[in-house]
Amino acid sequence: MARTKGYPEALEKKLRDQRYIREDSNPEFTKNVKAISRTIAHMCYQCGTCTGSCPSAPRSSYRIRKFMRRAVLGLENEALTDPDLWLCTTCYSCSDRCPRDIIPTDVIMSMRNLAFKRDIVPVNFLKTVQAIYASGHGVPNNDVNRAAREKLGLTRDPPTTHMYPEYMPGIRKIIDHYKLKAEADRIVKEREG
Amino acid sequence: MSESGINHKFAFYLGCIAPNRYPGVESASIKAMKKLGVELVPLKGASCCPAPGAFGSIDLKVFYAMAARNLVLAEQMKMDIALVCNGCYKSIWEVNHKLKHNKDLRDDVNEVLKEVDMEYKGTINVYHTAELLYNDKFIGIEKVRDSVTNPLTGARVAVHYGCHLVKPHKDREFEKEVMLNTECPTWMEELVAATGATPVEYRNKMQCCGAGGGVRGYDIVHALDITNEKLINLKEVGVDALTDICPFCQLQFDRGQIEIEEKFGVKYNLPVLHFAELLGLAQGMSPQELGLDLHGISCEPFLQKVL
Repeated sequence: MARTKGYPEALEKKLRDQRYIREDSNPEFTKNVKAISRTIAHMCYQCGTCTGSCPSAPRSSYRIRKFMRRAVLGLENEALTDPDLWLCTTCYSCSDRCPRDIIPTDVIMSMRNLAFKRDIVPVNFLKTVQAIYASGHGVPNNDVNRAAREKLGLTRDPPTTHMYPEYMPGIRKIIDHYKLKAEADRIVKEREG
Repeated sequence: MSESGINHKFAFYLGCIAPNRYPGVESASIKAMKKLGVELVPLKGASCCPAPGAFGSIDLKVFYAMAARNLVLAEQMKMDIALVCNGCYKSIWEVNHKLKHNKDLRDDVNEVLKEVDMEYKGTINVYHTAELLYNDKFIGIEKVRDSVTNPLTGARVAVHYGCHLVKPHKDREFEKEVMLNTECPTWMEELVAATGATPVEYRNKMQCCGAGGGVRGYDIVHALDITNEKLINLKEVGVDALTDICPFCQLQFDRGQIEIEEKFGVKYNLPVLHFAELLGLAQGMSPQELGLDLHGISCEPFLQKVL
């Protein structure tokens, strides 16, 4: 640890003893969260500024501070199976105010990524992936809007993948590289038949 | 100013909700910016940014690669990107920033892009049109004010900044430092004042609209409850319209009011306009030209006040 570099070995040992590890801790989880989130969850001193700034907290049991502790303690199952994980609106108010310069929102994002790897994911997230795979857009065009666009002097389809579908194979190749569409299809089929 | 009157050209990244739900935002932006010497050139073949909440929650690696593909399209045009949506800003600006500064991410992304004969080089910048309007390097408040032919005098307009353009401010790099204030910024209010309208402050104005992070799809009542809180705070001060700089927030406030009426039995009838639409009105464009009839909540009471 850089913090104790140069200090007597005894101090390093003391700090190691004080690390609180529960039976259900998975140190790998802590490492994975750090790698994906690219932020410093272990710097959290649990002040609660994040929860106090959170628009989801007053109307649910979602507590971002709790997830920060779970990240540090490696409480993988507790974090990933909690349905509150999906109530973060990613407004970054917590990240804006964190006195430890952590980005708690990105900790949540990394946990969602890890949950998806275990098939724990609400279907609406997968449907966005399917929509983008189908047309390039998460919110695609429709006939009412095409008529409205024409009236405004715009092209019926916007000059995106909608107007230039020849760009779609490239997009599908990128998504397929990560097998994301296949995974999304499989999970949606399992849930909805 | 050059002879054609065009000083700057940008690749116009549209995203999804502006072109496919509020096309008036697209046409208003193109026309309003042109009057201010900025040409928005279509970014052909662009896709969803992709949605930072819904798509990023699944797999950030794919999110980076997909956003990088959009960036490469603009790199090939040798043009900086301009966009009209905070969500798109989060994806496109932030991924550009991350890839420029992290070689490991850039290498990962380029390995995938190689399969589609693309390479991310990091040669362009990304701007939100609100930022272009505010920054006098591109346009600036003075020019915005000078372009107004139909001042929106007497209209009380509140601003919804949204989240992803300005937060987290620790990671943002705006040339205008006041844009880094995310507790109580006033730069958008300055733009509103330039249209002739009266900007109005309200309680907790920096709160999220509630739609982001996939929450609108996951738990609509939860998302609407956040929106409702903002609407209560807006009602408290009495405004004629709310202006936003994000079509997704606009969808949540505009269509959301209809859903709130269904689910909570409360009615607000608050017109919600993207700042591009508001500016269009002030520059003398007609409501039809701006597609305001496509809004879920009628803009009529507001229009009667300003036209």
